[in-house]
Formats: sequence, structure tokens, C-alpha cells
Amino acid sequence: MDETSDHDLMLAVRAGELGRLGDLFERHHRPLYGFLARLIGDRDAAEDLVQIVFQRILKYRHTYRDEGKFSAWMYHLARRVAADHYRRSARQGDATDPADFDRVSDDGARHAGETAAKRDDLDVMQNALACLPTEQREILILHRFQHLPHQDIARLLNISTGAAKVRVHRALAALRDRFFQLSGRSASA
Amino acid sequence: MDRQRIQDNFIDYQAGKLPAHESAKIRELLKTSLDCQREWADLQKTLIALDKLPEPEPSPRLRANFNLWLEEAQAELDAPSPFTLARSRIDSFFAALLPSRPALQFALTVVVLILGVVAGTRLLPTAEPQIIVQTDPATQQELADLRAQMESMNRVVSTQLLAQPASNRLQGVIAALNEGEANDRTLARLLNTLAFDPSVNVRLTALEALYAHVDLAPVRAGVLNALPRESSPLVQVAMIDFVVASRDDGAEAALDSLTRNPATNDVVREAARRGLVRLGAS
Repeated sequence: MDETSDHDLMLAVRAGELGRLGDLFERHHRPLYGFLARLIGDRDAAEDLVQIVFQRILKYRHTYRDEGKFSAWMYHLARRVAADHYRRSARQGDATDPADFDRVSDDGARHAGETAAKRDDLDVMQNALACLPTEQREILILHRFQHLPHQDIARLLNISTGAAKVRVHRALAALRDRFFQLSGRSASA
Repeated sequence: MDRQRIQDNFIDYQAGKLPAHESAKIRELLKTSLDCQREWADLQKTLIALDKLPEPEPSPRLRANFNLWLEEAQAELDAPSPFTLARSRIDSFFAALLPSRPALQFALTVVVLILGVVAGTRLLPTAEPQIIVQTDPATQQELADLRAQMESMNRVVSTQLLAQPASNRLQGVIAALNEGEANDRTLARLLNTLAFDPSVNVRLTALEALYAHVDLAPVRAGVLNALPRESSPLVQVAMIDFVVASRDDGAEAALDSLTRNPATNDVVREAARRGLVRLGAS
């Protein structure tokens, strides 16, 4: 197994060894795909966005800093790619905007509540996560699925570590409320 | 601790990141508070469901597309730029044309250099002074006539004036001065003397002789013409007095021209200014 660090691989890419980008792709395309697929809720589009992220890594390789952490930089690019996707979708009228998630959630809450008993918890959780505002969904994905520490999330969102921690907790509380709401049960609160 | 704070700390508590005293506090609450126990249970259920969500798996298409794109990017990076390509072709052309041995290359360079110098000296036109040619025949003819007249007059005057000593020339002028009524020939001789005699004394005497005929326009015109060409400041100042006294129409312009000419002697310029003042005052 190649023990070269992400940072060293990226430095090689920056120096012109494009083949090393393939190594980075092998390491990171699955979690990156998971992040984007969960964030935008469209698996096909997420594949395209993953490729765009790697294209941007190559395009902006000269801006990669020696002291930078590769995964944080990659997610930074991924967030911008996702934002471009939202803007493009909004112009084309098939937006997967956070507001739409809220609307879908509110409209379908009663129906979801009626049928939730027949569905297992995973389906409900999938819907609950999709119904969260994008900002909360994003921070939860970064924390629970991408396993980024609060410090990296803070750097990514350009906020303090304390603020990142609070936002994670608030997002988790919102998810819990939505989860029990869709389950047709009330939370303990 | 309020409810929100407790929930926030639940996550850190579960992750084992809380300080010992806060962890102990939450443990105590979980033992005693029914609300906290429910809160904890809900959070656990939420986290379990969340962590059990399946990881989305990309299709093989993603890797295939990426590899294809990476190959293209690599090929694009490896491809030489149009400039590099053109340069390599030019290099190949000269490499094929020129000899490969350095000694032969040097010899060829010397030969080409010599050929260039020889060709340059033979083929390129040498620099010659530029001559302005008058293309108008009438103008050329007029200039030739004027040049001939000037040379003829110079010869005549020089011959007449220089053939006899200055004292004789002075006598001739004095004789004219004493003539009561001078004819045209006498006046012409005085004007010629004023214009061309090399002696300052003779010219001054001629000018004095012309004073008697200041009312004649040709005399005034002759003095005005001789004024800018006069080389002696002494004679020029005397001429300025003559011109001012004559009140000729061209007097003011002639004096003004003298004051503006940077080559004019300072004394003469001052005399011309005074003359202009006198003309203006009259």
C-alpha cells in the first residue's frame, strides 16, 4: 500500500505529476461522493460533481499551500462546486435548494407521519436528514460521515471552533426533532 | 445546566471529550433525572439511526470517466505548445542544413559573413549629400539670370572701385557732392559706392553726398536696401539717421527689422530704436 501522505501526493500533483491525482482520487472519491450525494440528494449529479472537484483540484493546484491539509482543501472546493450546482439548478428551475427541502418537509410531514410507522428507522432518518436546511445537513455530514474534527469544520466554514461545535449540536437537535416527527412519535422534549 | 446545554454536552460526553467534573455531573443527572434519561435515549436512537445510514456508493462510471479525463489532461500537458513545436521544426531544418562539425560551422559562418560584407558594399547605395533640385525650368532660368547679373555687377563695381586708390574714389564722391544738380548716372555711382566701396570713409562720404537728394525716391530706396547689408556699425548708424530724416514709407519697417534681427550690432539696434521713436513722434 502506498504510504505517501495526501499532502505529499498533492505536492507532486502541484509539481506536474498528474498521475498522482489518480492516487488521490482512489483515496477520496468515495467519501467525497458520499458527502455530495447526501448534500444535494442526487446521486447521478453527485458523480458529475466529484469529477468537477478533481478537475478543480488540478486547475487550482498552484494555489495549494504547503501548510494546508488536503482533505480540508478538497472539501472547500467541493462546497463551492455544490454551491455552483445549486445556482445552476435554481436557474434551470429544478432547484434542490434548502428552502425546497423545508417546503417538502412541511407539506409531507403529515403524510410521512401517517406512514412512518410502516417504515423502518433508516428510511425515516434518510428523509429527516434530507429535510434539514442545507447548512445543518452539511455540517452534520461533515461531522458524522466525513469525520472531520470541529477544528477542520471551523476552518472550512470560516468560523470559530466553538461556533462549529455549537452548530453541530444544534443540527443534531434539529435532526432528532425531525426524525421523531417523521416517525409519528414525539421526542422526549 | 439548562436543557440545551445538557444536550450539547451529551454528545461530547458520549465521545469522551468532556472534562471529568462535567462528565460526573451528567452521569449524576442521568441517574436522577427522568427528562435527562429520555433526552439521552432519544439522542442515542437518533445517532444510531444516523450512523446506520448506508454509505452512498458511486457507480463504476465515475472512475471510468475520471481516468479518461485524467488521460486527456496528461496528454494535454505533455503536448508541446505551438511555439515549441515551431521552434523544434526550425531547429531541425537548420540542423539538417548546416554541417555538424563545429570547425565546418565556423568556416561556413566566416564565409557567409564575408559574402555579406562584400554584397553590402557593392549593392547598397553610398550615402551622398542631398541636393535640392529645382524641377521648375522657369525658376531655374530666373535664378541663373540673377546669378549672372550679380556676378557681372560685382565685376564691374570691383573693377571700377578697386582699380583706383581710395583717395581717388573719395575725390570722385566729393566732386559729386559739390555738383548742384546730379544726374541719374551720378546718383547711381553714389549709391553703388555706398553699397560696395570697401572703405568706410568713402561710404560715409557717399552717404553725405546723397543727403542732398533725399527727396528722390530711388535714392531713399537705395539707402534702405544698403542698410541691412552694411557691415560697419558706424555707417549703419549714419544710414539710420538718413532714413529717419527721409521719412520714407519703408523707413519704419526697415528699422523695425533691424531691431528684431539678433545679428544686429547693439549700438545699431539702439540707434534703430531711437529712430523708430523719432518716426513715431513725428
